Amino acid sequence: MRNIRGTTGTLLAAGAVLALAAAGCSSGSSSPGSSGPKTIRLITGVKSDPFYITMTCAAQTEAKAKGLTFTADGSAQWDVSVQKPLIDSVAAAKPDGLLISPVDTAALTPSLKQLQSSGTKIGLVDTSVTDPSVGITRISSDNEKGGHVAAQALAKLMGDKGSVIVISVKPGVSTTDARIKGFTDEMAGHPGIKVLPTLYDNDLPATAASQIQSTLAAHPDLGGVFAGNTNTGQGIATGLKQAHKQGLVKVAAFDAEPDEITALQAGTVQVLVAQDPAAIGTQGVDQLAAAFAGKPVTGQIGTTMVAITQQNMNDPAVSKYFYKGAC
Amino acid sequence: MTAQDSATGAAAGPAAQMPPRAGLAGWSARIARMSETWTLAILLVLVAFFSIAAPGKFFTTYDITQIAVNAAIYLVLGVGMTFVIITAGIDLSIGSILVLAAVASGEYNIHHGGAASGWGTVAVCVLIALAVGTAWGALQGALVATGKIPALIVTLGGLGAALGLAEIATGGQDPAGAASDHLQSSLGYGKLLGVPWLVVLAAAVTVVFGLVLAGTRFGNYTFAIGSNPAAARRAGIGVGRHLVKVYALMGLLAGLGSVMWLSSYGTTSIAGHSTDNLKVITAVVLGGTSLFGGRGSVLGTVIGVFIPAVLTTGLIVIGVQQYWQDVAVGAVLVAAVYIDQMRRQSRERG
Repeated sequence: MRNIRGTTGTLLAAGAVLALAAAGCSSGSSSPGSSGPKTIRLITGVKSDPFYITMTCAAQTEAKAKGLTFTADGSAQWDVSVQKPLIDSVAAAKPDGLLISPVDTAALTPSLKQLQSSGTKIGLVDTSVTDPSVGITRISSDNEKGGHVAAQALAKLMGDKGSVIVISVKPGVSTTDARIKGFTDEMAGHPGIKVLPTLYDNDLPATAASQIQSTLAAHPDLGGVFAGNTNTGQGIATGLKQAHKQGLVKVAAFDAEPDEITALQAGTVQVLVAQDPAAIGTQGVDQLAAAFAGKPVTGQIGTTMVAITQQNMNDPAVSKYFYKGAC
Repeated sequence: MTAQDSATGAAAGPAAQMPPRAGLAGWSARIARMSETWTLAILLVLVAFFSIAAPGKFFTTYDITQIAVNAAIYLVLGVGMTFVIITAGIDLSIGSILVLAAVASGEYNIHHGGAASGWGTVAVCVLIALAVGTAWGALQGALVATGKIPALIVTLGGLGAALGLAEIATGGQDPAGAASDHLQSSLGYGKLLGVPWLVVLAAAVTVVFGLVLAGTRFGNYTFAIGSNPAAARRAGIGVGRHLVKVYALMGLLAGLGSVMWLSSYGTTSIAGHSTDNLKVITAVVLGGTSLFGGRGSVLGTVIGVFIPAVLTTGLIVIGVQQYWQDVAVGAVLVAAVYIDQMRRQSRERG
């Protein structure tokens, strides 16, 4: 999971469920094995997120090239109660293949297993579920490696000395925990850098701003921050600016969304660790197409990560990793 | 906060006036019965504790400024919420109103120069934010006053609807260029005699509305409606009209909060305000304002905003694990409401 949106009000979620359920009713249906082009559905974690938009665009292009029928949808929020009705509506349509970024590691397993037993080939993209029997392929970024990449770039900017802190979104999330583990493991190889205990801001920029300023009060030698996601990054940028430490304390963040690229240009963030959502989308379609054709399928695929800084951001080999706001 | 002295008089509304007593004993008894006294004591104990635990790190100019800046927006929202809760109402929608107002003014800014827009655009954006907030608040107030719908439900609906409209307008993504650089460099990061403008603005709002609550007819009506709406109606107060005004005031201050947010964060943070309502209600209740209406003060809210702020900062500075912050704030909240209940019971008996 790359991004956890704040849990908005229950009512909002309930309203979205109703809306989505209503939308689900109107979707057409076909059955696996029917003649004509094979169909692939994609359900992403958060529909409006540039990460998932980039992934969807790449999957769509690849599906078109392979002559597959492709439709995509995504949850309005990062919430099981919002994504489950989407899966149910897909189950009614019985597509040949489903690519999904499940928003929970367990809660959606029964729905997905049912869908799988009715003949739909499932590929898990970006996030996954704990039960290993779900899905014929799992494609995601190597998050622990991403943590290493972030730590290397940050240590270099810090001159290998000072304190560094991780401000993340929530504890107990497999992907962000893996990033933090990779980050701290890498920092252990830099004896001049002290890693402070991780703080969590519950996806609230105001909390992140207060936390970074409090940390500065306690640790004036703070030289670097590793931000959990975009909201956290915004809060950290504001906190540092108010403390007049912007640029002095180096900030590393995950992802390369349009507003993060702007922040990198403006100097509020110094390192962006970009995932490769386009490769995840393309690989997902490729693997399902292989399964349709009865060819061998790779069970586990880890995509690369790249560190973007102000120095290398204009290099086309790096700028191709920027996420898109629209196809 | 400079608001403290002027707002003290709002401790007890006319409906909850203490019987007059003479002498020093009467004074000390009266002070002990003011709920601000207890919460202020908690705040002072916390400040003293962290100052001793982290000498030279906690009670510094840097740290006080930092706490005040981070509390500024919640303080502005808290002042409005104090009025609402004194009428025995509640407003769950403030975070969504803030986002909606920020998106409305942000969209105008994007189409009139973006980050490089001039002062004229900034002024229009501020007016848009205040107008959107006030209008949304007034609409909710009208529903509460005339529609026979509980405030909890009206504002719960408003919470979803306002956020939904903001998401429709933006496609769920924070738009770039929502705040002018002029706004950010002045209100967001500028200072007046060393005090950040955000803090100056929040203090001014607090003083003005502390005085309004304590010393004007508007304030008296607010207390009267919260104490006994039927009696207030018989006394000739236009209860419905007054409620519309109170909710509109809450909306206005949420609109002002959105201007403060845009100036310091530079983005609309659509997903970042889902718990503003709980934070602000916690602060107001911590400050001794009764959820049952009729009693409360702006000064109490000031203290109530600063207790969680001091706790969070202090615990980070002394290096205590973060999860304890939530435990501590929760415990203090429940204790404050318990004291409030005991005081009410003893007053009703006496």
